[in-house]
Order: sequence, then C-alpha cells, then structure tokens
Amino acid sequence: MELLAQIVISALLVIAGIFGFLGSYGLLKLDDTMRRLHAPTKATTIGVGGVLIAAMIYFAVFQDKISLHELLITVFLFITAPITANFVAKAHLHRDVKPSELPPTGGKYGWAAYDSVSPDKQPIDTD
Amino acid sequence: MTAHLDVTLALIAALPFIGAVFPGLMIRAGRDACAMSAGWATLSAFILLMTLAPAVWHGETYSFRINWMPMLGLNANFRLDGLGFLFATMILGIGMLIILYARFYLSRSDPMGQFYVYLMLFQGAMLGIVLSDNVLMMVVFWELTSLSSFLLIGYWKHTPDGRQGARMALAVTGMGGLALIAGMLLLGEAAGSYDLTDILQRREAIQASPLYLPMLILILLGAFTKSAQFPFHFWLPHAMAAPTPVSAYLHSATMVKAGLFLMARLWPVLSGTDAWFYIVSTTGLVTMVLGAAIAIFKDDLKALLAYSTVSHLGLITMLLGFGTTAAATAAGFHIINHTIFKAALFMTAGIVDHETHTRSIKRLGGLRHLMPITATLAIITAASMAGIPYFNGFLSKEMMLESAAHTTWDGNGLLVPVLATIGALLSAAYSFRYIGHVFLGPVRDDYPHKPHDPGFGLWAAPAFLSVLVLAIGIFPQAVVGSFLQIVADAITGQHLHMHPLKVWHGLTPALLMSAIATVGGLAVLLAFTPLDRLWESLPKPDAKRIFDRMVETSHDICGTIANHMHDGQLTRYVAIFATGTVAAGIIAFVTGDYLPGTRDMLPVDLIDVVGTILVIAATASIVVFHRSRLLVLVLIGINGLVVSLIFVRFSAPDLAMTQVTVEVVTLILLLLALHFLPKITPRETSWARRGRDGAIAIAAGLAVGGLAFALMTRDFSTISGYYWENAKPGGGGTNVVNVILVDFRGYDTFGEIIVLGIAALVIFALAEALMNGRASRRLANWEVTQRYSRDRHPLMMVVATRVMMPIVLMVGVYIFLRGHNQPGGGFIAGLVVAIALLMQYMASGFAWAQDRMKFAYHTFIGWGVMIAGLTGIGAWFVGRPFLTSAYGYVHIEPIEEFELATAMAFDLGVFLAVVGAVMLALYCLSRIARRTGETVNVTPMDFDPSHPTETTQENG
Repeated sequence: MELLAQIVISALLVIAGIFGFLGSYGLLKLDDTMRRLHAPTKATTIGVGGVLIAAMIYFAVFQDKISLHELLITVFLFITAPITANFVAKAHLHRDVKPSELPPTGGKYGWAAYDSVSPDKQPIDTD
Repeated sequence: MTAHLDVTLALIAALPFIGAVFPGLMIRAGRDACAMSAGWATLSAFILLMTLAPAVWHGETYSFRINWMPMLGLNANFRLDGLGFLFATMILGIGMLIILYARFYLSRSDPMGQFYVYLMLFQGAMLGIVLSDNVLMMVVFWELTSLSSFLLIGYWKHTPDGRQGARMALAVTGMGGLALIAGMLLLGEAAGSYDLTDILQRREAIQASPLYLPMLILILLGAFTKSAQFPFHFWLPHAMAAPTPVSAYLHSATMVKAGLFLMARLWPVLSGTDAWFYIVSTTGLVTMVLGAAIAIFKDDLKALLAYSTVSHLGLITMLLGFGTTAAATAAGFHIINHTIFKAALFMTAGIVDHETHTRSIKRLGGLRHLMPITATLAIITAASMAGIPYFNGFLSKEMMLESAAHTTWDGNGLLVPVLATIGALLSAAYSFRYIGHVFLGPVRDDYPHKPHDPGFGLWAAPAFLSVLVLAIGIFPQAVVGSFLQIVADAITGQHLHMHPLKVWHGLTPALLMSAIATVGGLAVLLAFTPLDRLWESLPKPDAKRIFDRMVETSHDICGTIANHMHDGQLTRYVAIFATGTVAAGIIAFVTGDYLPGTRDMLPVDLIDVVGTILVIAATASIVVFHRSRLLVLVLIGINGLVVSLIFVRFSAPDLAMTQVTVEVVTLILLLLALHFLPKITPRETSWARRGRDGAIAIAAGLAVGGLAFALMTRDFSTISGYYWENAKPGGGGTNVVNVILVDFRGYDTFGEIIVLGIAALVIFALAEALMNGRASRRLANWEVTQRYSRDRHPLMMVVATRVMMPIVLMVGVYIFLRGHNQPGGGFIAGLVVAIALLMQYMASGFAWAQDRMKFAYHTFIGWGVMIAGLTGIGAWFVGRPFLTSAYGYVHIEPIEEFELATAMAFDLGVFLAVVGAVMLALYCLSRIARRTGETVNVTPMDFDPSHPTETTQENG
C-alpha cells in the first residue's frame, strides 16, 4: 500500500513538474498573446493540481489525517484562472487588435468589448 | 490653622465641567431649560462651597489630594482657604447672575446651548485655578481659561471683530501662559515642591534662590498678560466684541482677575523684594493712569468700561506690588468691590445696548427719563466706581490712597501719591462721563431705537449687585468686615490685626486726595469737549495694528524658514534624512569599537538563492523601468510576494499572511490611484543630480544591510524570549505574534488602529477637498486617453466574485477566530474581508456595490476604535489596568472545548478599523473616478442574461 502510494505521489509530482515547466516554457516560446494565453493554463490546472493531489494522498497515507485545504485551493484556482485569462484576452483585444480586424461574432450581439447593450435591451437574449 | 480633608472640594471643581454637558443637550428642551441646567450646576457648586464656609471663616483650610502623576509632581490637589473662598464665591455667585442675565440678553438667533457650554467650561477652568493646590495643575486650568475664553470672546463668530478679538486674547494670554509654565517650573524647583501648601512655607528659600528673578519675571508675565497690565493691556478692549454677559463675567469676576489671584496667592513668597516692588507696583501704577486716561475719551460704552477695568486692575496690581499688609488688604477689598460694581456696570451697558441698539455715548443721553430703573442702577454702580462716599468703591479707594500716601518710589515720596491721585481723578472723570453723557442731560429724539426699561429678568442681576454696592458702602464692617479679615489673612499668610472698616476716618491725607480726585473728575467732565478735541489730535499708537504687524512678521519669518526647509520635494526630505542617518552611523562606527559577529552563518540552499535572485532582479528592474509606473507596480508586487515567501521560510506565517494581504490591497488601491496620474514619470532632473541621489541610495542601502548583518551575526538578548515564554501563561494564546499585538503591546496596537483610522479619515478629507477645488474642474474635464471597454463588468468576473465572496468571508472569520492560537488575527482577517468586498466593487463597479452596502465606512473605523477602547476599559471594572486581558475555556456540546479571551473583542476592534480604513480609501478613489464622468452601471454586469434588478439609470 505504502509503496503504491509512493509511486502515485511521485508520478503526480513528476507530471505536475512537467506541466509546470511546459506552461512556463510555452509562455516564453509562443509568439502571439492569444496563443500564449494557453500555456500557463497547463501550469495552473494539471501543474498545481498534481501537486495538490499528491499532497492530499501524502497526508492521508503517511500522516494519517485527511487534509482538505488542497480542495479549497483547487476551487480557488479553478474559479480564478479562467477570469485571469479572460481579462488578459480582453486587454489584448483593446491594445493590439483593431475592431475592424475582428471576425463577426455570428450571433445577435457584437464583441462585448466594443458593442454596448443599452439597459432597455437588457436582459440579453441568450438563446 | 487646621486643615481638613474633604472630597467636596474636588466635587466643587468638577461640577461646572459636569454642568457643561447639559446645556448643549437641554437646548432641545427650550431656552429656559438650557439656562436652568447651567444654573443648577452652578448653584449646586455654590451651595457645596457654602457648606465649607463656617470652617473657612474660622481660618481653617480644606484640602483634597488625588495622585495623578506623582513622579512629575503633577497631582490633582485642591485647597480652599480665605482667598480661594473669595474667588470661588465670586466665580460662582457672579456666574449665576450672568447665567440669569444671559438668558434674557441672548437673542433667539444666538445658539444658546453653545453659549452655556462655553460659559460652564470657562467657569470650571476658573474655579480650578483658584482651588488648585498644585501649581502645575493650576497652570493646566490657567490654559483652559485661555482656551475657553477664546470660545466665549469669539462667540459671535460671524463678526470679524469677534474672531480677531478672540484670536488676540488667545495669543496674548496663551503666550503669557507659556511663560507662566516656565515660571511655575522654576518656582517648584526653587521651593522643592509643586504644592502651594509647601511653597507658601518656603519664602526665604525661594527668595534666596538664584532662580528667583527669572522665575518672578516669568510668573509676572503670565499674570500681567492675563490681567491686561500695560503693555499687554490691548487685548482686553478688543475682547469686548464678545456678548455683554461674557464681558461682564470675564472682565469683572473671572478671567482678568486670574492674574491678580496669582499675584495674591504667591504674595507671601514673592513679595517684599525690591524686584517685586519695582516691577509690580510700577506696572500697576502706569496701567492705572494710562487705562483711566484712555477710558475717558472712549465713545463706545463697553470700550470705556474695558479701559476702566484695565485701570482698576492696575490699581489692584499696584497695591499688591507695595508689599505691605495694609496694601494687600486694600487689594483684597478692591477685588471684591470691583467685581461687584463692574459686573453690574457691564450689565447696565448691555441693557442700554440692548434697548437703544447703540453703544456710542455720542448718540446717547437723557436715558434717565426713559429707563429710570436702568439709570438708577447705573448711577449707583458708576458712583461706586468713581469712589463717592457711601458706595463700596469709596472704601477700597480710600485704603489705596492711604497706602499710596505712605509709599516712596526710589527715594521720591511724592511720585506715587500724586500719580495715584491722578489715576483716581481720571477714574472719577470717566465714571461721571458714563453717568452724565448717557443717563443725564436732555432726552433726545434720534435714538436708533426707542428705549424703555427691560423686563425684570434683565435688570434683576445688576439690581442685586447694586444693593450689595450700597450695603457694603454704608455698613462695611457689618457686611464684609470679617470676610475681608479672612481674605487678608489668606493673602498675607499671617493673622492680621485689622481696624474695623469705617466710612469716615477723619481728616486724613487719603480723604484730601479723594476730594481732589472727585472735584477734578467733575472738572474734566465739564471741560470734556475741548479736552476730547485735544485728545483726538494727539498721536496714539494703534495697538491692534502693531499687534497685527507683529503677528504678520512672525508668520512671514516662520513661513520663509519652513518653506525653505519643506519645499514639498520628497526626494529632498529623503536625501537629507538618509544622508544624516548614514553620517551618524559612520561617525558611530569610526569612533566606536567594532568586533565581528560570533554566530555561524546559516547554510545557503537552492531555494534561498532563487528567492534572493528574484528579489534582486525585481528591484533592479524597478530601477531600470521606474518611469513606467504600471510596470513598476507589477514589479513591486513580485517583491512583496517574495518577501512573504521569505517569511514563510523563516517560520513567520503571521507576517507572511499579513504581507500577502497587504500586498493585494495596496496593489488594487495603487492601480486605482494610478488611473488618475500620468502613466509615465517624466525626466525632471539632471544626470548629476540623479547620480548624487543614486549614491545616497546605495550608501543608505549598504548601511542598512551592514547593520542588519552585524546584528544578525551576534547573540544578544531581547525581550522576545520573555514574550515567547509568557504568551500562553500570561496572554492565554499560543500565537505569540497575536498575543503581543492584542495583549503585551495592546497599547501600541490601540494607538496604531487610531492612527490607521485617522489616516483613512485624512484620505477622505483630502479627497473631499479635491472635489471642491481646482482639481475638481480638471477632473470634470478629464479626457479619456485610452478607450474604455464596453464590457467593464464582465459576466464571468461578476459571477466568480459572487461565488467566492462567502468562501473568502468564511476564511476571514476562520482566520479571525483562530488568531489567538494559530497564525491569523484581527488585522489579517480585516484585510481578507476587505479583499472580499474589494472584489465585489471591482466586479460590478463601485456605485452598484455601494448601493448594497448599508453601513458607512467611517462608522466601521469609529466602532473599531470604540470596541477596542471599551475592551481595554473593561479591565478597570475588575480593578486591573487598561487593556489587561482575561481568558477562559468554554465547553459546549457538541463543539470541542474552545477558548474565549477578551483579547478577541479587542481584535474585533482591530478588524473593524482595518476594514473601514481600506474601504474608505477605496470609496475616496471611486469618488474621484465618478467626478471624471465615468458612467454608473445599473445592473451588476454589462451584459446581463438575467433580469435587471433596477430600471433607473443614473449618471455619475
């Protein structure tokens, strides 16, 4: 049992390390902001997630206590990571892309960053 | 002389202060209730005082001692003897009459509650002076009279005269007060005690001390400024801008008598020397003659009375200066008489002003026919001031002339008697003018307002005083004989054998001088018109202009110095500070011995290296990119994060948590502030200048680093060991940091949250000022240089912050609750909760979030400080010092046993203050943003797939 746990923990740590490295490397390597945006997501999800799962298993098996902090950290990460990405993308749209260069959205509404919806048209039609 | 201990004394001194609370509240119940509340407090104090009268009458003293700061010699010691009794009686007695008079004098538009609050404060301060046994305590009360009289004189704050008069009075008496503090310290030094009881016994030691002369001059400066002695007399006439009840009170019984009281009080120890005689009696003599001469030609009723007050104060000062027991007795007697007739005179002047709407003597006359009651009262009291037989002023004036007749000044036996006679003559002249030009003569038809006698309420007080004038004037021995005996005994500190007071002493030099004065006074009145013309043609220095110029000059000088030292350039301040500190350190290092540290260096591992590189790289980047402010902010963030990691590594989780949360809050607020500032720092200084600044910075950095290294490489004992051992047994918590914050050093923390609150309020005040100034117009014309997103409040962010809010709040509560034993505490919890709120504001915009916030952030700060303070005070109720904490363990099924400590309530205060301060800063920044014309969103997000909660559109 302990051996199995050790193997699992080690594997998780290694995988997490690889993804963490990949995330950082991608951030440097990729040349376009929109593409770059993808790289750190690997680090924040599987990279950090692997370490957290490893920690939980470690505490459960070797320290004989259930640790739930990691779950909370995961929740926070899952909530915040997309928002960060969303904001970076929006900033990129404003700084580097002209509205005319943007492709049509194909829906009833334009790009959120440029087309406002007047309050009397709210709530927006989500169908 | 036997002494009694009696707590009543402290109660008498406290009653006016307690009474000062009520008028402000009772004004809501009406003007009568307001006046009554002040009156009752004064009456209670008066009755209490009278219960002590029998023993004082037998020459006994009362005292009461409360140790306040015994190490400094500053104790709340009270003492009541004949002199104190006289003054306390005057302060409270006249005080009651003034309260009555003011009730009818003040008009409906005057804020009466304020008036009585100020009056009671002033009364309390005066009473404190005359009842203090400790001279330092007396100085405290002395300054309180300066402050409260400032409020009273400036009561009509809408008039420039009132404001300037109040400021002048405060400047002159306040500066005198400073001199007095120094004088009293020297006196205590010379006497070896700050208690009057002791000081009064040590005349020889004090007069033999080398400190005697400087001490005398300083104390007299205090007394002379307060009692408006030449050349400090000029503030008193300007203080006449106050409402008449104030003038009547301040200038008859209280404020200006404080200086006389001080001289009388210290008479036994200070008088009798040449220095005392020449300084005090000469000043008094000059003041008496000069004040009287000016008074005659004043056309303003109150100005005439003001200068007459100056003159009479000079008279009493002169008598005290003579240094003989007979003169001191006369001084005591004239203090009584002057109080009575001058209070009444001011009140009648107030009535005339009230009824005719003018105070100019040139526009008055013949009022005897229109206001018979007022005229009678005024004539009785003015006759007393003139020194006519059978009025009380006559008696003390006779005694004064008698003393003057026997005084030689620098070998000249004639100088003092002649000048004293001239003073009395002029005094008679202005008194006659007050009677003749206001009340006698034909009735005129051009009064600004048709006068008639006022209601009983207004003339009751002067009428009572007039009765006293006559009673003392006709039956002196029966009415005040024994009282004067105890007063004179108390002033001189001996048991005097006094002749009974009589109106007629036979044909004495004094009577002759008095006759000359009266006849001369009449002659001056008859020849008034030509004399007035002559006086007008004389060049006279304008005291107010001189004073204003002095104030302006000193203001300019201070301004020049301050503006050169503080030119607003922060780099200069830092450069001066850093250079000075480094230089001091280098001097200390060169002149002292230095031994290298003895502790071994810690091993360095990879993590340390990475951390160090990160900090250095971030800092170096800040230096390189410092002109791009946004980038710098990010780099500072890196620094903050690494520093908090360093804290984690060296087992300081509390610090790490604080650092991280502070970092987040700071970054957000800085980002917001940066929004209104240029994004680029312009190049303003030359290369040489920057090189110099760089050198200073490097030197300072190296010095700090070296110092830290030197400290950390050696063993030294600090107090931390004590904290470590006593955190659990003493403070009941295992988190030493938290126990230090809320228990060991609770006082510091209490001070800090107050500072934090003040800082937040200052930010608020600054932003408020910004909103109303030129900057506001600039903000209104703000040009948006960068395109705003149409989607400022994106759905994802809004939803995520809503989801996180309860979690973050829970984390805050958790950190708060466990703070006493594990990393956490009120400060961190406050920051965490503030971040939870900040997120909502960021996601949905300030206005939207603020609408949902039911409490103002100012109150958070207030509650925080109050809860922390009340927790500290709670310790008093179990007889422990401020902020002593207690703790216990509670066990409620099914929860595990947990600890409850009073420190938690204190921590709650810290928590609230932190939340309030952070959010108030955010509020201020957001107000600025609104001013730039930022639109306010109605819905929580810009693209709202749900139903909008509101339908109104508002614009910022």
